Amino acid sequence: MGIFFHILKYKFLSFIKSTFDRRLVTAVRGFGSLAVFGAFSIAAYLLAYAVTKSVIEQTRIGLFVYHRFISMMLFVLFVSVNMGNIIVSYSTLYKSSEVGYLFTKPVSFTQIFVLKFLDNFLYSSATFFLMVFMALLGYGAYFGYSALTFLAVMFFVLLPYLFLSACVAVLILMSLMKVASRWGFRKVMSGLAILYIAMVALFFRYSNPIELVEYGQRLNLDTSASMMGLDSGILANLPNAWVSNVLFYIARGNSALAFIHGARLFLLTAAMFGVVLYVAHRFYYKSWLVTFEFQARSNTVQSGKRMKVFDFRRTSSLRPQMEVLLKKEYFQFFRESSQWIHLALMIVLVGVFAVSVGNLNLKLRVTEIQTVGYLILYAFGGFLSCSLALRFLFPAISIEGKSFWTQLSAPLDLKKPYLIKFTIGFFIVLTLALLVAVFSNAPFVRMSERRPILMYFGVYSAFWVSLTLVSLNLGLGGYFANFKEKNPIRIASSQGATLTFLMSLVYLMTLVSIVIIPLTEYFQSLFQFLPFDISTIVAPATTLYMLSAALSAFALVVGLRSLQRDF
Amino acid sequence: MIELRNVTKKFGSFTAVDNISLVVPPGEFFGFLGPNGAGKTTTIKMMAGLFSPTEGEILINGFDVVKEPIKAKSYTSYVPDQPFLYDKLTGREFLYFIGGLYKMEKSAIAEKIEEVIEHFEIGDWVDKRTEDYSQGMRQRVTIAAALVHQPRVLIIDEPMIGLDPKSVKIVRETLKMMARQGVSIFMSTHSLPIAEELCDRVGFIKDGRVVFLGTQEHLQAYKQKLDGKFESVFLELTK
Repeated sequence: MGIFFHILKYKFLSFIKSTFDRRLVTAVRGFGSLAVFGAFSIAAYLLAYAVTKSVIEQTRIGLFVYHRFISMMLFVLFVSVNMGNIIVSYSTLYKSSEVGYLFTKPVSFTQIFVLKFLDNFLYSSATFFLMVFMALLGYGAYFGYSALTFLAVMFFVLLPYLFLSACVAVLILMSLMKVASRWGFRKVMSGLAILYIAMVALFFRYSNPIELVEYGQRLNLDTSASMMGLDSGILANLPNAWVSNVLFYIARGNSALAFIHGARLFLLTAAMFGVVLYVAHRFYYKSWLVTFEFQARSNTVQSGKRMKVFDFRRTSSLRPQMEVLLKKEYFQFFRESSQWIHLALMIVLVGVFAVSVGNLNLKLRVTEIQTVGYLILYAFGGFLSCSLALRFLFPAISIEGKSFWTQLSAPLDLKKPYLIKFTIGFFIVLTLALLVAVFSNAPFVRMSERRPILMYFGVYSAFWVSLTLVSLNLGLGGYFANFKEKNPIRIASSQGATLTFLMSLVYLMTLVSIVIIPLTEYFQSLFQFLPFDISTIVAPATTLYMLSAALSAFALVVGLRSLQRDF
Repeated sequence: MIELRNVTKKFGSFTAVDNISLVVPPGEFFGFLGPNGAGKTTTIKMMAGLFSPTEGEILINGFDVVKEPIKAKSYTSYVPDQPFLYDKLTGREFLYFIGGLYKMEKSAIAEKIEEVIEHFEIGDWVDKRTEDYSQGMRQRVTIAAALVHQPRVLIIDEPMIGLDPKSVKIVRETLKMMARQGVSIFMSTHSLPIAEELCDRVGFIKDGRVVFLGTQEHLQAYKQKLDGKFESVFLELTK
């Protein structure tokens, strides 16, 4: 154990030195991060408080149904953290040069595993912790939480919940490595993807709080006490349900029941971590060796007569520089499994979200509910685009790595590679954003007897949001470029990335605030059978376009200029 | 031709390169020597376009590297001291990539690639991804890539690092041949025997300043003043 804490001590010192060095640029970035973190924290707090207050006092759906919504969001959080951790853990546990170095030292495999697991969990979840903590603070402020209650819920409920997700991810990953060595990596990944899709689809199929609200209203049930009996057996025993039950029982003043659910979660997390340690002890080193086998098998490219579509030997109608830059991007992306798998997973997630919301049945003709519902879907759609842009566009310049000297020393206008990265990224983000916009607006179009105005707005907004998020992430990714870091996931979790992510969220929240009033007026006019003045949306639409265009131009120029810095 | 006119590079308050002026005409093999941290790599990076000079001008065949970078770089090949390659590309794909960056036609690239593969004897592993290459393999591919587009100016930083004796011989002979063909070669090296054998002229840099600039004859004369060893000249000039 002494060695373990010795290594932790130096990792901590190294982190402190690199975060708090005395250079002016670091101080400016730190201050900027603090300012943005602070603004976002306040916004998250206010939003959580406002949503809780609005839902409880205005919509009157009751505490229980509200906590079912929270349970649903927690499920999505669990799955997101879980999938993200599978991808990130693969890089951290199997591709990190630090692991290779430590294997040559008198440190046990289990200790190395724990070090990297904690490294991965803390590194990739820091922003999540902040978001969850501030949301909890806002939520808890409404219910009059004491400081002790906040701390207890944060550290004994939410933190174990996220930790449980990470443990499950690592267990799945190590199982994958064992199975993949026999059946092949691609087959196993495809199987896993199908399993996740099925799990998410089943969850949303059997857990629909809106149906619960409608059912309760039909039966004139008290939406708290009586509805508890309608809770499904299996779903009630998932960790997300336990967390939402802790919150529910605290809100009702029933500490004993809250403690029971909290204790279940804590014990499950502890047990799961124990299983993880046991499996790591038995299998981590063997699974690490398996990655070399995979690599050796996949790293020889046959250069026989038969050429694949993007083969460098194949002639092209494109100019030589554009051709080789595109092909280089293609091979660098698709030959790195953590890249294309993560993209595929995100596309699936977006697809599942789009199909789920596309089938929403919006019968409640209440202005506030529909406005809040629309804004939540709008913001969530933006958040998906934001995550996509952060994960793939922010690292785009950095992952050129030290090999970037080839382009810098060649007779190449740097606008070309920059434009290529922008175009590819914009195409992907825009396609998915449009998919989400169309599917999330479809229920509202149906509800409004096929008036398409929200659909038009959704598509218009999707274009500008995609443009801005892609520009922001590519541009600031260039400004904060770290050519020494090879892992795109770590780049996307860096301080610069967090700052960019938070700026993106501030941008999205600004859009939400621009849209809220005209949206409310639209639903009001719809439900009161009044004519809607189209000029109401002209000003917000123009503001949206101007803000987006300005941010995009600024970010793209910053990014392009950063390529001309000393390398 | 390479021309440095009063070139200075500062990083904050630290002056890495201090007012260097020199000319490397076509066909000359210029050796750039100095102790660690003297400013050799910084000078080379400015010539290759990776750094911008704080003051002064760098001209490649009459084109300013800062003001007309594309024209200047079209004549140049740069071989860095640490040969980082795109790890998901094979060696062959990397060669095609470099050829394309220099706007070569596909058939010309294909022909030249076969030539360099044979010349540098890299055929056995050129179709493996570069992430599996050793240091020496990377160095050979990088040097091969530098020759694909037949540059008029070659800027090369420590070319022999990681190479086995056979590879050193191949690279040495190749560089000699290129100089004979009229290519201006600017090479930094720590290897005194290589510098003595290959270079027409040498420059010594210390603390960012050129402390000696002369031909092999000048160098021989300096050697005679000491104990006749190149090593002693190096130590004397850089102490």
